[in-house]
Amino acid sequence: MIIVGLVVAGGCGAVLRYLVDRSVQRRVASDFPLGILLVNLTGCLVLGVLTGAALHHGLSATWVTVAGTGLVGAYTTFSTFTYDTVRLAENDQWAFSVANVLVSVVVGVGAAAAGLALGSLA
Amino acid sequence: MPEASADGGRQSFEAPLRITAIAVGGAAGTLCRYGVERSLAVSPGRFPWATFWVNVAGSFLLGVIVTLVTERWPPTRFVRPLAAIGFCGGFTTFSTMAVEAARLGQHGHVATAAGYVGASLVVGVLAAATGMLAARGRLLPPAGGPIPDPDDLGAFRHRPPATRSDDRGGAR
Repeated sequence: MIIVGLVVAGGCGAVLRYLVDRSVQRRVASDFPLGILLVNLTGCLVLGVLTGAALHHGLSATWVTVAGTGLVGAYTTFSTFTYDTVRLAENDQWAFSVANVLVSVVVGVGAAAAGLALGSLA
Repeated sequence: MPEASADGGRQSFEAPLRITAIAVGGAAGTLCRYGVERSLAVSPGRFPWATFWVNVAGSFLLGVIVTLVTERWPPTRFVRPLAAIGFCGGFTTFSTMAVEAARLGQHGHVATAAGYVGASLVVGVLAAATGMLAARGRLLPPAGGPIPDPDDLGAFRHRPPATRSDDRGGAR
């Protein structure tokens, strides 16, 4: 049963990432991968809240697996992040490349910590 | 949600197919990640190897696929949505890494958290770059190149050109 949940949630997460990334790219014309950054940061916050709620409020393990591992796990992506970072460096856009890494990691881990705190409160 | 474009009719048919390809790839990637995380389960407070290897392997694979699609293969419509945006995107995860790092830090394993994030970044970026180079044929001999003639020993002769004409003369 959990496999069915993961399939549906994983498919939805990937499509949601594509739609968010595309709508950001249409609004903001830049070589900086703003869409994937936004996807990853919002995903870190949401997964933090889910994990915090699971740890402190007994949110069921099945739900955490389907919504966390499935939906949010597929929504966020590491491979596009590393690929974009290399492509920016190849094109001599070093400032964008370094900023992509730093902002993703610092704000991402910060958002995850904030989410964990929020999830344990709520 | 039909997209406005010059080729109107085909685009409105293609967009749902692209979305479907992303969903199928994303579902497969998610199942693979779940399988790795189940089989490489790590106890709390330890280096999260499962997510690390998933992200490194996915970065390499995405580097290969996107480079093949954009630089080496004739134009394809569904390889990128299915294999890159769907599978690799769904297989790898940024949020799990961030939450694992935040939890390690909160439990006092700051060095492990920093090492985990640093190693994921460095090895992940190197994996993506290696995948891109491999797809460009810079790591291995080009797949489409001429097949070497097994009888041609030219590559093994290290003689100056002057002696070569002597060889030819001798053979005649």
